[in-house]
Amino acid sequence: MQLKKESKSVRGALALATCSLLTGTSQGVNAASEEEWEVDSAVLFYSEGSDRVSVVEPVVGLRKALGDDEYVGVRLVVDTLTGSSPNGAIPTDEVQTFTTPSGNSTYTAEPGETPLDPTFRDTRIALSGEWEKPLSERLKGIFSANFSTEHDYQSAGISATLARDFNNRNTTLSAGASFSQDSIEPEGGAPVGLTPMPEFPDVKETQSASEDKTVSELLLGVTQVVNRRTLMQFNYTYGIDDGYLSDPYKLLSVTDDTGNVTGYLYENRPDERSRQTIFWRTLHHLSEDVADVSYRYYWDDWDISSHTLDLRYRHELGGGHYLQPHVRWYKQNAAEFYHFKLDEGAVPTYASADYRLGNMTTNTLGLKYGFASSEKQEYSVRLEYMTQSDDDGQFEDVDAVILQANYSFLF
Amino acid sequence: MTEASSLTRNKDHWLGRFQAMASPCEILMEVDDRRLARRLLAIAHAEASRIEHKFSRYRKDSAVQRINHSDGQPLVVDEETAALLDYANQCYELSEGLFDITSGVLRRVWRFDGSDRIPATNEVANILPLIGWHKIIWRRPKITVPSGMEIDLGGIGKEYAVDRTARLIAEQSDASILVNYGGDLYVNTPRRNGCGWFVGVENPASSLPLAEGSESIHRFELRHGGLATSGDSRRYLLANGIRYGHILNPATGWPIEDAPRSVTAAAATCTEAGLLATFAMLRGAKAEFFLRTEGVQYWSAR
Amino acid sequence: MRIGITSTVLALALLQGGCAFEPVQPWEKDLLAKRAMQLDGYPIDQYLDDHIYYSKEGSSGGQAVGGGGCGCN
Repeated sequence: MQLKKESKSVRGALALATCSLLTGTSQGVNAASEEEWEVDSAVLFYSEGSDRVSVVEPVVGLRKALGDDEYVGVRLVVDTLTGSSPNGAIPTDEVQTFTTPSGNSTYTAEPGETPLDPTFRDTRIALSGEWEKPLSERLKGIFSANFSTEHDYQSAGISATLARDFNNRNTTLSAGASFSQDSIEPEGGAPVGLTPMPEFPDVKETQSASEDKTVSELLLGVTQVVNRRTLMQFNYTYGIDDGYLSDPYKLLSVTDDTGNVTGYLYENRPDERSRQTIFWRTLHHLSEDVADVSYRYYWDDWDISSHTLDLRYRHELGGGHYLQPHVRWYKQNAAEFYHFKLDEGAVPTYASADYRLGNMTTNTLGLKYGFASSEKQEYSVRLEYMTQSDDDGQFEDVDAVILQANYSFLF
Repeated sequence: MTEASSLTRNKDHWLGRFQAMASPCEILMEVDDRRLARRLLAIAHAEASRIEHKFSRYRKDSAVQRINHSDGQPLVVDEETAALLDYANQCYELSEGLFDITSGVLRRVWRFDGSDRIPATNEVANILPLIGWHKIIWRRPKITVPSGMEIDLGGIGKEYAVDRTARLIAEQSDASILVNYGGDLYVNTPRRNGCGWFVGVENPASSLPLAEGSESIHRFELRHGGLATSGDSRRYLLANGIRYGHILNPATGWPIEDAPRSVTAAAATCTEAGLLATFAMLRGAKAEFFLRTEGVQYWSAR
Repeated sequence: MRIGITSTVLALALLQGGCAFEPVQPWEKDLLAKRAMQLDGYPIDQYLDDHIYYSKEGSSGGQAVGGGGCGCN
């Protein structure tokens, strides 16, 4: 008789025995996943169009039960990024010439075109490990470590979350903390903030060859089983980023009274950021389908605040097939130091023209098709269309197509 | 052979009644169609009677009686009996020998009739050699019961009948149905309004039926799952100021000390609930501690 | 103890309008146990979404801690 998993509890063993008595099935039906690896894999294609950024990103995750609700898992991600990314400068009526971050060459932007830095290509490898362990009857610990490397960026982090069950395991309180230490070695060094981009072959004024930052986060959460069909989650998070938070490759255009661009400055962001979120999510099982709704409010001391609403509806087609439409709406208020461009003679202490810090809205529409051929084997593919637009009507829209294929199975 | 059953319409459900296993049996069905209700009731009645006859200690032709009269010879049993014996064996192990289907022979000396007639120490001691599941050779599908020993599936039978009935009914209808065999219950699924069936548990201190609304009735909602009670406040002996409850310890032949008068437990199935309640009773003073530790929803009366 | 269902159940069904809030029992968690009902049932989708939006928006986090940094923001 296989009672390994439930052996600690008389009730669990009795439940298995009773089930066997009443259904006539033999013992040990639950023994399955103990000796096997759960493999979860995917490949993502992300494209912002022909001359913009595109990403190919394979992911593979492995997870294994060690028995008694203890699990270990690892995940490997490789993402390869090619194409051009906006450098922060504004489009003008003339051809604009920029010095590459490394200082070795130049690139140009045609009249009327958003200046894009074509030297943007990178491969990132990220590895993470997770260990989930019951610490007592009602307390569980989840510990993880992650490491990633790119040609100019390294990140290493750890996290720990404790989850305690209450109320017949219908309420779970979680508390988590994470810390990561990142370092960046920008091409050509880290420029001094708000100094001019040099004209090739001059070189930029740098403050160092490498910079670093730390990211610390705390989480408090409640998960509540509302009824047999409904699960609700509330989280509060508080995070502090400390160190070099600027993007060393981003510029700001400087214009004179007549609006003509007279030069470009490297951006400069504060070296500290504290941010908070409240997050609510509800999963509701209808007769067959599952609705998944979440909302997040984010705010930080850069004056960015945002609302995110995410809706997914999994519609069961029968026989393990399902379709899941997805809608996501995101609206963000700009950082206080965000400027589409700077006026000559009015250069503030901090400034960035990175559109990701501006007033903007992201809309995503997606559809996922999945087929769970058994309890432990599932194929799916999803196609999403994302569009980001400037609420002030300044920067050019960013449109992206996301295509992803997943396969999960037992090994 | 099968006594009559009755079917009556209540506000929003049908109530079927019959007598089986020495208990009043009821089926509450949230169906509209009278014919369907009648058919479900017939299924229930037939199943309860079948199990009663098959596992009765009193019927010569029952599977249990054939085992008990096998005179120490190996006997091949059918699949259902084998499943119950496997289950009894698992319960024996899980209760560390306290749940023992061979302990029924103690009935010869213990009669819990509310009197003060407790047996003499040697009377009990003389019975003890006939008790002990480990003395029985059970090699599916063959059982060998030493002469003089007996098995009794009474501690499982009624709850098993409730669950079996619920399964048979579920094959016919997915309506919300409550099966109640003498106070052991199972509800398959919540009612149409999302609620459960409201059930009252009587306070065991009172021997009279209580009026609705009485403080002594603990009322609760059974939405889905099983509910069963172990213990009977009317079955005890009182001698020299000591109350002897009817749950006996197979190791000593004497009542379990400091056991609650009764324990009602909730679980996924009626059988599981019944065994949890019984396991708790067998732990005596630690009954409630056991239930709390295992995270079982329960009501106990002391 | 006996469960007095004969008259009790019926009378209570009439008396009680709504149903009480009862905690969900372990054996009622069949639906909640499905992969589609898990908060982290599709961790890779979650990871990739977080990664995309982290690199394209000014806000991040909310669901969990950790996950790893990247030079994309």
